[in-house]
Amino acid sequence: MIVVRIAIVLAFLAACAAIALPAAAQDTPYFITYSHHLEEPGTLEVEFSSNYATQRAGNDFIAPWLELEYGAKAWWTTELYLDSQHTFNDGSLFTGWRWENRFRPLMKAHWINPVLYVEYEDVNGADKNMIEVVGFDSQADHAVRNDVASREHNHEIETKLILSSDFKGWNVSENFIAEKNLGHRPWEFGYAIAASRPLRLAASSSPCNFCRENFVAGVEMYGGLGTTDSATLSGTSHYVASILAWQMPRGVTLRLSPGWGLTDTSHRFLLRWGLTYEISGFGRKVRSWFR
Amino acid sequence: MIRLFIPAVLIITSAAFAAAGAAREKKSGDDRGVISAIAQAPLATREWRNPYGDQPDAIAAGRKLYLQHCAECHSRDARGRGRATNLRSPGVQNATPGELVWLLRNGNLWRGMPSWSGLPVERRWQIVTYLKSLRR
Repeated sequence: MIVVRIAIVLAFLAACAAIALPAAAQDTPYFITYSHHLEEPGTLEVEFSSNYATQRAGNDFIAPWLELEYGAKAWWTTELYLDSQHTFNDGSLFTGWRWENRFRPLMKAHWINPVLYVEYEDVNGADKNMIEVVGFDSQADHAVRNDVASREHNHEIETKLILSSDFKGWNVSENFIAEKNLGHRPWEFGYAIAASRPLRLAASSSPCNFCRENFVAGVEMYGGLGTTDSATLSGTSHYVASILAWQMPRGVTLRLSPGWGLTDTSHRFLLRWGLTYEISGFGRKVRSWFR
Repeated sequence: MIRLFIPAVLIITSAAFAAAGAAREKKSGDDRGVISAIAQAPLATREWRNPYGDQPDAIAAGRKLYLQHCAECHSRDARGRGRATNLRSPGVQNATPGELVWLLRNGNLWRGMPSWSGLPVERRWQIVTYLKSLRR
């Protein structure tokens, strides 16, 4: 049933894309790692993504989320996440929301470009989209039944230092994560690193859908680094994932990323996919309604 | 209490940043912004050679990229829109290809032009090749 629902949502988004204005971005294809490339000012990006994970002891799950990303300024991007999940043989529920902001403190491009990231999260304990892995996050956390896990409410501040470089068509990005549960728990730390490259660097002279310039391939690795009480790799979860993104015409990007857990505390297998649609000039159009 | 306080702080901070940015951007509105941005390009960029020259394929590819990435702000005919610069203006057309590629990489963030360093340099050269063809 959930597969049918997802297919309906994907078909709806594809139909929206087919009738909308064209736009294209220079976004990197990563699901977890951030680069220094922010959303173009005035552009709204709508993204529907999902995470399927196998559970070592318990039920597998799918955790879809919706992202609304807006380029407020050329140096500032703001984004709202709405999270949900469906656990097989258990149930489906809305698990909370997140609001993030990314700022570029340096106005010129450098070899290494820093971006400052701050996010507020209001999610319950049943949240399973694994947008970041920090502290001692473990696959066992996701084995708890939804009716029990959803009773726990988490209010968290997450900060990241994003470092990112472009060189000969490659993007290499590193994220250092520090997350604080506001309920008097210690800081939790994590990391994410990634690299990607278009399959062809120069553009062809005519429009094309399946040419190599529209595909970006990459790999990312992420995991936890313990807490302020115990900064260690022991007992933490780590993942490596390959990524393929297809930038279709009219501002639509399709991404697919199979991932594998590297430790006993990790899920064995993750499959993420996402459909992104860019609405270029969204801010200008909204402003024109009020003139 | 903390549940209300944190979002409130984030909203107020965001609004302050937006107001500060808008105040700065209102001061622009002509080609002086892009001229001053190009003037910041290192002297060495003037010597950078366009690997595509005037190749028709590069112009066509550059036009395709321009329509994808640039036309929303600069308009399809490159004559500018609102605060976005007229790319047929002397300030742009008198710049060297190297200076324009440098500007695409760095952007002009305070004045609203994003950095296009995420585009491979080959594609930035193709865009510049197309822009230079507009002079004819």
